[in-house]
Amino acid sequence: MKLKFLPLYLFIACASLFLTSCSDDDDAVVDITVTPPSNYKFERNGKSTVSFSGQSSRLKMAGELYSGMKSSSSTKAGLNNMFNNGTGFSDTKLDASGKKVGNKTFASSVASATVKPMFDSMITDFADNVIPNWSTTAADGTAGKMTDSKRTVYINAKGHELTQLFTKGLIGGMTMDQIVNGYLSAAKLDTGTNRADNDAGTLVSGEDYTQMEHYWDEGFGYLYGEEADVENPTLGNGVLLSKYAGKVDGSNSPGIGKIIYDAFKMGRAAIVAKNYAVRDAQAKIIQMHISKIIGYKAHDYLNDYVTKAAAGTPADAIHALSEGYGFIMSLQVTNDGTGKPYFTNAEVNTMLAKIENFWTVSSADCTAMANDIKAKMNL
Amino acid sequence: MYKNLVLVFFVSLLLVRCGGSDDDSSNNGEVKPVAYDRGKMLVHWADKIIIPAHNAFKLTLTDLDTSTKTFVASPDQSNLDDLRSKWLLSYKSWQHIEMFDIGKSEEIYFKSKMNVYPIDKTWLDNNIEKGTYDLENANNYSSQGFPAIDYMLYGIGADDTAILNKYNANNSFTNYLTDLVNKMVSTTDLVINDWTNYRATFVGSTDNTASSSVNKLTNDFIYYYEKGLRANKVGIPAGVFSGAPLKGNVEAFYKKDVSKDLLLEAMDASIKFFNGTSYDGISSGPSLKSYLTHLNSTKGGATLSSLVATKLETAKSQINSLSNDFVIQIETDNNKMLTAYDAIQAVVVLLKVDMLQAFNINVDYTDADGD
Repeated sequence: MKLKFLPLYLFIACASLFLTSCSDDDDAVVDITVTPPSNYKFERNGKSTVSFSGQSSRLKMAGELYSGMKSSSSTKAGLNNMFNNGTGFSDTKLDASGKKVGNKTFASSVASATVKPMFDSMITDFADNVIPNWSTTAADGTAGKMTDSKRTVYINAKGHELTQLFTKGLIGGMTMDQIVNGYLSAAKLDTGTNRADNDAGTLVSGEDYTQMEHYWDEGFGYLYGEEADVENPTLGNGVLLSKYAGKVDGSNSPGIGKIIYDAFKMGRAAIVAKNYAVRDAQAKIIQMHISKIIGYKAHDYLNDYVTKAAAGTPADAIHALSEGYGFIMSLQVTNDGTGKPYFTNAEVNTMLAKIENFWTVSSADCTAMANDIKAKMNL
Repeated sequence: MYKNLVLVFFVSLLLVRCGGSDDDSSNNGEVKPVAYDRGKMLVHWADKIIIPAHNAFKLTLTDLDTSTKTFVASPDQSNLDDLRSKWLLSYKSWQHIEMFDIGKSEEIYFKSKMNVYPIDKTWLDNNIEKGTYDLENANNYSSQGFPAIDYMLYGIGADDTAILNKYNANNSFTNYLTDLVNKMVSTTDLVINDWTNYRATFVGSTDNTASSSVNKLTNDFIYYYEKGLRANKVGIPAGVFSGAPLKGNVEAFYKKDVSKDLLLEAMDASIKFFNGTSYDGISSGPSLKSYLTHLNSTKGGATLSSLVATKLETAKSQINSLSNDFVIQIETDNNKMLTAYDAIQAVVVLLKVDMLQAFNINVDYTDADGD
């Protein structure tokens, strides 16, 4: 070999290493001390250490809120009770769970406090304006119903199908935010003496898990909390993140579900192995990929609106834009793996302002925003 | 030979690429060989900030006490006006010491006896009517201190005439007011007198353990900023932790138009403590800020110490844009309260996560946000 080429070889080799070694992809950090487990199954002295019942409760509550926000028999007090007080559900076990959706809505340390009140306003708007106008024909400035060949939607004066804004907003504002900015952040996992306790195997009083293990599982629960068998997750459950993770896995990004599940398993195993570098690397994979699910849906629904509006199905178009609105709200609590969202609160508000009135929204604006999301999130 | 060289190169590259922090903080939880003089910082905190702030507070309290005696002897409009102004001056001064929940303060629940709000109106009214009460009892924390005096001076009647009538008609009101002020004076004396001895213990405790002065006071500062300032003064009344705003929970609810002033005092106190500015504002010394600078801590490429200082100022200017009266602000445009809350919260993350990681200090209090 000619020595003079050595620098070139080195350069190429190094450059490729640079690209593969610690990029943000799935197999970024491989540590031989952590063996990837085959399933999300962790035990101590023969007993499972995995618990996330609080998350399962909240996911089911969101399901009832979704139905409540499109039923003319709902009341403001009833919806508010379900959302903020965690009571009034048809599943009485939920009432007894002591959990609430409202206090986990855009509630992480990086979420803006200005967002949660939007959900309270939606409840008020639905009860005060949409329900009383259930058989009114909707128009710009008038709440009511709209029908086309595809569907009927019940909308507020700005054309919003509120159950869609509400529920898609919760996908980001509760499930994603709690996972990517809450439970899987190093700040949360390492709270107080969590690391020392996990190193020493000190369990939470009366439980079979360490606090750090439990935090990770609670994050896991916001995605997999409605699975029949978490060792063989199907995705597509309920009305929140699982449903759309399943959709994106089946369309935009085949395999993304496995990447996320593998990272959850590996990260949890890393906690058991006390390897926090591996844990954090897996958290990063999860943060970025879940964020992308939200990005894909925001992007797709904006484009769907444009297509459906052009096809002469305004109700169907408004339905899509309502979903898009909720996913755009969600963008502000994405996490690019460094703790930063792909779009800030201010950037999201600028986008929302452009589509605020669905009766006058411009298709060109929607297309431009969809393209912007695609470019910025590298979809 | 070259193969080995190449291998070494690759391995080192891997270390450089992967060994670095996964988060933004340059310290990444590792303790650097720290030469920072914690003892000097403690001396500065004690002698230039904490003790002078307490002494200044005591002066305002003495004025409040004097005006109370005058008012009780002769409850008229001019004495009421004078007492109200002394109450406000003292309440502002209090904002500079509430964060120092350490030593005797912590032991005797100083802040719980001075500034729990909203008051428990039913309980307080009952105290006045009965004329017997134990202000040491925790059940009475929400019936004493500055918030209770706020009620006694602004809330017991529909207007000044009605308020003065109560004091003139019935000495149960003058008695309760006198007892409240006496309690504040005696509690404060306990704390100030204790600093005479406690100072030596405080400045000598330079270790990095959970019970050492730097760790405790740093935690106290963050706790105060997060709960006493962020949550109590802004978040709770703005409805951040509830389904709807709770305007009755603003600080100085009965006087109303001073909630912003009190919050601004608290922000100033926080900013001065972080920066190491002396209580009198004339000098500065070792501080959390200079400690961070010493450690070269960074976040996202920016210097952590300046980042905190800048964001504190941003929060202050957001607060400045609010109405003096937070009840009005909440009723007319609560979103502005929430925006101010966001700006205050942005600093919490930096202090609680990034700064503590740089110092290798654990948070010594738990959040009530688990489930």
